[in-house]
Amino acid sequence: MSHAPSHAVPPIKMGLAIPNSKLCMWLFLGTEIMFFTAFIGTYMVLRLGSKGWPTDPEVTHIRVAAGGINTFVLILSSYFVVVAHEAMSLKNFEKARAFLKWTFALAVVFLGIKSYEYYGKIDHDILPGHIAENDQQAKYKVLKESEKAVAWRLDQLVSKAKSLNAFEKLPEPANDPSKLRKALVDAAGKLKGSDKPAEAAAAEEFKEFDEPDAADPSKSTMFSRFKAMKKDIQSETVPLSEIQHQLEGLKSNEQWGFVFKSVHEPHPILYGNIFASCYFLMTGFHALHVIIGMILFAIVLKQPKLEGWHDFVENSGLYWHFVDLVWIFLFPLLYIV
Amino acid sequence: MHDDHSHHEHPKYALIFAALCVFTLISIMADVVQLPYAVKVVAVLSVATCKALCVLAWFMHLKFERAWKYVLLAPTTILALGLPLALMPDVGEHYYTQEVPQMDDYAEHLEHRKHAAEHHGEAEPE
Repeated sequence: MSHAPSHAVPPIKMGLAIPNSKLCMWLFLGTEIMFFTAFIGTYMVLRLGSKGWPTDPEVTHIRVAAGGINTFVLILSSYFVVVAHEAMSLKNFEKARAFLKWTFALAVVFLGIKSYEYYGKIDHDILPGHIAENDQQAKYKVLKESEKAVAWRLDQLVSKAKSLNAFEKLPEPANDPSKLRKALVDAAGKLKGSDKPAEAAAAEEFKEFDEPDAADPSKSTMFSRFKAMKKDIQSETVPLSEIQHQLEGLKSNEQWGFVFKSVHEPHPILYGNIFASCYFLMTGFHALHVIIGMILFAIVLKQPKLEGWHDFVENSGLYWHFVDLVWIFLFPLLYIV
Repeated sequence: MHDDHSHHEHPKYALIFAALCVFTLISIMADVVQLPYAVKVVAVLSVATCKALCVLAWFMHLKFERAWKYVLLAPTTILALGLPLALMPDVGEHYYTQEVPQMDDYAEHLEHRKHAAEHHGEAEPE
């Protein structure tokens, strides 16, 4: 071992004067910029090329207030990360930990508000591939959903009839809806006037599938009214407003209106599907980034001592600011413009 | 030295945060106040750009980084603009007419609605 001269030249450091981890984070953010610009750019281009793009909040269920609050939440969390990083530089680890906790909490708030917005969209069936874009499609959507609702009711009542032993013999084949409907009506006749209240009530329910003479509207049943609507939809000449009216009639029936609860009010939205695709793609990937950011902060917060975690906090902070940055553009583009 | 300047940046962060909040309020105001559509678009996108620059410059410290930031961010910015620019002529600004059946139906739907509204109000002679 030789004695080092006191005026030794410091060893030459190769590369940039920043930690490798920070360089890597910036390179990663470079790819992230391209990733999100691809989505945002395609969205803008698609919008410019589609006259009549849905913007009415009554139609799209976009809530400006929710987006605005979320913008504030992310900006505040970004500020907290900066404060936490600053505290790490000053070796004030307890302060850093407190602000990172607040950042994590704000990320939870952001996702909570986002889930509330997603819930609204799912509730109104504003989902890619689910949206009718014209009156005809809207009518067929009503038909498809009503058919599903009626099939569900049939299933439910057949199980009930089986549990009450109401069938003379099981219909053959057991999956033929018309045979099952007939068997239910027969079962209703059998149970009618039964002194057991459960059986009498079931008989009333089974009559929902009766198919009386269409000439007398006072004798109409759930199934006959559904069939009348189906016929009108398939004729393709009855206007949407009339179908809407019929659907409202079905839904408001006191005895069996609930069967049609899952059928959505028909509202055609031009370009609704591409709008929903863009919305869910962009906000979905952004939310995924929020979750990943939360994992990064959770890793730091799990450490008993934050000494030596300065670079990690700085890099996850850079990532978090980028997530904020993306939202800064998504908010005006999706919620305001 | 590197640590030195971050010390007196400290009070500025709160200012940047306040500026970002003000910018957000301006965007929401632009939506609430009835502005011509083009003005609104330009306003909110300019505000968004200002906010983005604030975050990049101060929160992400780019203002204080050395020249490597240009080397690193220039290629990705150019490539990021490539895709929208490439799609623009065909999808965004086509010179040909589009055959989109639902568009005609939609026009018809609007027409129906207009008629229905007229019908409910003063019936106009056909």
